Amino acid sequence: MTERFQTVGNPLLEDPKMRVRNASVFYADKQAIFDVDLDIGKNQVISMIGPSGCGKSTFLRCLNRMNDTIDICRVEGQLELDGQDINDRKIDVVELRARVGMVFQKPNPFPKSIYENVAYGARIHGLTDNKVQLDDLVEQCLQRCGLWKEVKDRLHEPATGLSGGQQQRLCIARAIAVNPEVILMDEPCSALDPIATATVEELIHELSQNFTICIVTHSMQQAARVSERTAYFHLGKLIEVNDTSKVFTNPEHQLTEEYITGRIG
Amino acid sequence: MTEELKFGGHISRQFDEELDEIRSRVLKMGSLVEEQLEKTLTALREMSPASISGVSKLDRKVNKMEMKIDEECTQILAKRQPAAGDLRLIIATSKSVRDLERAGDEAEKVAHMVKRALENDTSPNLYKGLQDLVEQVEELLHATLDTYARMETRSAVHNMRLDQAVDAEYGRVIFRLVEIMKNDSDSVSDALDVMWAARSLERIGDHCINICENVIYLVEGEDVRHTKFKEIEDQLS
Repeated sequence: MTERFQTVGNPLLEDPKMRVRNASVFYADKQAIFDVDLDIGKNQVISMIGPSGCGKSTFLRCLNRMNDTIDICRVEGQLELDGQDINDRKIDVVELRARVGMVFQKPNPFPKSIYENVAYGARIHGLTDNKVQLDDLVEQCLQRCGLWKEVKDRLHEPATGLSGGQQQRLCIARAIAVNPEVILMDEPCSALDPIATATVEELIHELSQNFTICIVTHSMQQAARVSERTAYFHLGKLIEVNDTSKVFTNPEHQLTEEYITGRIG
Repeated sequence: MTEELKFGGHISRQFDEELDEIRSRVLKMGSLVEEQLEKTLTALREMSPASISGVSKLDRKVNKMEMKIDEECTQILAKRQPAAGDLRLIIATSKSVRDLERAGDEAEKVAHMVKRALENDTSPNLYKGLQDLVEQVEELLHATLDTYARMETRSAVHNMRLDQAVDAEYGRVIFRLVEIMKNDSDSVSDALDVMWAARSLERIGDHCINICENVIYLVEGEDVRHTKFKEIEDQLS
């Protein structure tokens, strides 16, 4: 039996929003994540960085059981949301994904109107009682994502007519419409231009007042700008977790240093 | 960082070259300041101001190099967005060249004072004590450049000890000058000139220590400015 890897830094917190212990992920026989212990703080932004194939997206997808959709994928270990085991059989996965929402790399609005994209989730989860309340919710979510002014006169036009940056903010508006507690973002800006990226980053900052956000990013500058804590993954192992300010000025682990200074990629 | 800091090995070899270039320029700049001190020392040894010509030219070169290195640091910040050890190297270097430039200014002042003293037949009794101080400061500057070249914290701490010796020597020079002034009021004007030179030499020592502190920050990621020597020693042991 090989010795268990010890993450350096501060992976654990007091009273976290999500608690992960001894998490391992396998794709058939191949192990992709090795014994990860990590706490995710309430209303904090944590970013996951690391080279391609290091397991950061796989890890993110464990947090709302998106890996369940992959047949050969098996997740081991303890993953808790507010102390509740998310892999418990009694957990309704649809409910879990409403509490732990997700925004993907490529904006993926439904082929429906702008309005319907935001209203859809709230309607199926029965979050509003009537049309007025639903209208209010749609406006509120679009306001929070800074889209309202841009789209208020064309709410019933197809969402696919929006620019890439607007579509991504719409996807974030759609995610927050069901009132999640945690938002997972998998490279949310990698398909966006620098201006749209700056808008989304500003949005992440504002949303962090009320939501817990985990973001996977290939842009180290983005991790440095948006997150309070940074987790570095390498070959499926969680190498280091520290305050972002420390990781980018004086990381503890040699591998973290080599990655963020562009020596391994 | 637990392991040794390295500056090569980037995926971008061009970045490696840019960092190498900056580091060697800093050493070249430092050697120009050393040369200024060396010229002053020769003048004191030979009791002749001949060697001092060219010091101002050296100082102008030092000033130009400061601007050049700063520009290169700015370009790296803009183009490479350095992080961790690379970021600390750029910050520490940018600060260190400012200290080297100021050390150059001080060295120029000392040279001019010595030149004036030698040309005006000032009593050697007044400035003979300066020679030891120049030698010690030159040694400290040389050791500091070596510390920067090797990026080594142990020698940085050793240099702090050398600076304590410089401060003690400075104290002795001042004490002696005060004694001379007490006994010979005609010497006050010349003695004050020598005192300013001694003060400039002591300041060069302080700039060296700033550079050593920058190296400690660069290697360890620890900011040791405004920290007592004993605490720095304990922290790094």
